[in-house]
Amino acid sequence: MASSQHVLLSPAELAYLHASLSLAPPIRPDGRSPTQFRPLVAETGILPGTNGSARICFADGTEAIVGVKAEVERTAQRSGDETVFLEEGGAGGDDDDEEEEAGQGLEKRKGDASWVEMTVEIPGLRDDDSGTAFLAAMLSEALLADGGFTKRLWINRRFHWKLYLDIILISPPLSYPLPLLSLTTHLALLSTRLPRLKSEGDEDPFFDDDWAAAPYLFPRTSSTNIATAKSTTPAAAIRPPITLLVMAVGNNIIFDPSKEELAVADVALAVSVTGSSPSHYAATGTGEEAGRNLRLLSIRTVDPPSRLTPPGLANAANTAYGPSNGTMGTQKMAEARAAETEAAEGVWRPPRGGAKRMVLGALVQKVLERGGVVDEVLDALEGVDSG
Amino acid sequence: MSDRRRVNGPAGTTLPPVFDDAVFEKLDTRNGRSRPPNATRKLFLKTGVTPSASGSAYLEIESSAKPGVSGLKLSCSVHGPRSLPRSAPFSPHIVLSTHVKYAPFATKQRRGYLRDPSERDLGIHLEAALRGAIIADRWPKSGVDIIISIIEGDQDRETSKLQGDEVWDMMNALSGCITVAAAALADAGIDCVDTVAGGVAALVQDAGDGSTPSIVVDPIPSEHEQILAACCVAYLPTRDEVTNLWFRGDLPASDLELYTSIVEHGIQASKNANRVLIDCLSGTVG
Repeated sequence: MASSQHVLLSPAELAYLHASLSLAPPIRPDGRSPTQFRPLVAETGILPGTNGSARICFADGTEAIVGVKAEVERTAQRSGDETVFLEEGGAGGDDDDEEEEAGQGLEKRKGDASWVEMTVEIPGLRDDDSGTAFLAAMLSEALLADGGFTKRLWINRRFHWKLYLDIILISPPLSYPLPLLSLTTHLALLSTRLPRLKSEGDEDPFFDDDWAAAPYLFPRTSSTNIATAKSTTPAAAIRPPITLLVMAVGNNIIFDPSKEELAVADVALAVSVTGSSPSHYAATGTGEEAGRNLRLLSIRTVDPPSRLTPPGLANAANTAYGPSNGTMGTQKMAEARAAETEAAEGVWRPPRGGAKRMVLGALVQKVLERGGVVDEVLDALEGVDSG
Repeated sequence: MSDRRRVNGPAGTTLPPVFDDAVFEKLDTRNGRSRPPNATRKLFLKTGVTPSASGSAYLEIESSAKPGVSGLKLSCSVHGPRSLPRSAPFSPHIVLSTHVKYAPFATKQRRGYLRDPSERDLGIHLEAALRGAIIADRWPKSGVDIIISIIEGDQDRETSKLQGDEVWDMMNALSGCITVAAAALADAGIDCVDTVAGGVAALVQDAGDGSTPSIVVDPIPSEHEQILAACCVAYLPTRDEVTNLWFRGDLPASDLELYTSIVEHGIQASKNANRVLIDCLSGTVG
């Protein structure tokens, strides 16, 4: 699994790292503050053959590319009250019926989870590796959790867009790639455009071939047209989700951990959230509320690699050095048993057992804080000029 | 060149005729939840069912009163601890590998023999849940395989339309997997800090527009109009710790209490399952 790749740190180094991360305030190896992300370079619209694409490069050298491609697909018909037959849904359909549909179109739209297909490719890992499947499941889960996303892919009752999200990590996985992949996917979806539909009703879809007229999948509401922002429904202003990796060490909560930091984590969580676009909350304008209306979409515990690190041995229990050198036998066994249960200062012990409820609660609360890290990240990504 | 030697079916898809039958109508009506909101379904657990494995367990969750709804049937076998192959790199801990596989006939839609991504995903969740419970450093250089086959998935066969229920069914399956794997681990005599058990709780919207969402434990998707959010918890009762948490849904971030109370209910469900687990294990010892 990607998160549990072996870290080449000795028990002494792990103990030192754990101690420095447990300080108040924590001291991180790269000098960041606990809520600070790694600096990143982002650009969108880099792949001309896609409907939307993005590239993000983190300062530590990890880099990911996401391409979004869309295809028109016939919706599988199920017999039921909403079955459309070719005769009645064709071009010869009566006009009043279609107008009525346009009125209640948004409510009638239905999405299906199978309309989105996500693949994750990580160099050095097999396609069927469980870690890759876990990452893909986590990212698509966040996208599908509210059911609103697939409704955007609805064309008419007979056709829908099938969206393929292909996520490729083009650098070796130097750190757990979840935040990188999630941010890149977010950007790619923000820049995704689908051709403008020209046909009406349940006809076979026919599209405008002018790419400049293609609307964005996530319509952007710039600050200049606040009036239109007001008229859009809150659902339309929802941005694609982002998934953040948060970990707890001692009493500290640390965002976006690097590989070394993750190796001493007591507990690591992947939290997916989504928020409305900033101009929307500016437009709906309850002035005292700073920040977006965030929504919690999914939480998963990530198995921290710290459980797989080698344990340290106190000098007293070490048979090679220390007082017990040479005296083998039952006494040494007893000491070894004691070493297994007691925690000693400066001796690394991989965490055992799970996480306290309070710790999990605190992690989630910290992520969902108003005006917190999520707002910061969403604002920063919104600022990326999408071509 | 088209094939003229055989009588081929029509090129397009066809729909089987659906007759407006009174019997169908009666079956299609959803009946709501018959249990109180904080009661889990009955659980049957038995260890030592596979003689050739070093530890094994079988779990069955009662099907609800509605006919045609199958319960969950899981069988778990634990092989090991055994030494790693010579080619494997040194590991100071036990190497845990988990396989979760739906039987081809376990769900409404047939599953292939190869594990699909959702099954791998379940396997990772299970691994995370168990790794917290096992005292891994007592077996350096060894490995253990935990294999779970889901003989019957917890699915409603009557509901004709697909409503995106699979993911909620996955949560129920995962909580069963965690409980049955803990029983099998104990049967294999692998040291754990505590017996871990899984529990599911969900925020559901019942039929009728006026009703407010409520929290239930051990939800069956077909019994409710809509599931808004659900969480599956793997919980160690004596240490009061959570080894795996999987939450999914759509909740406003301002309402953190709602989230907390869903998790609390999940822990409650896990405690219920744990009681059955303890009874079963102490029954084998005594």
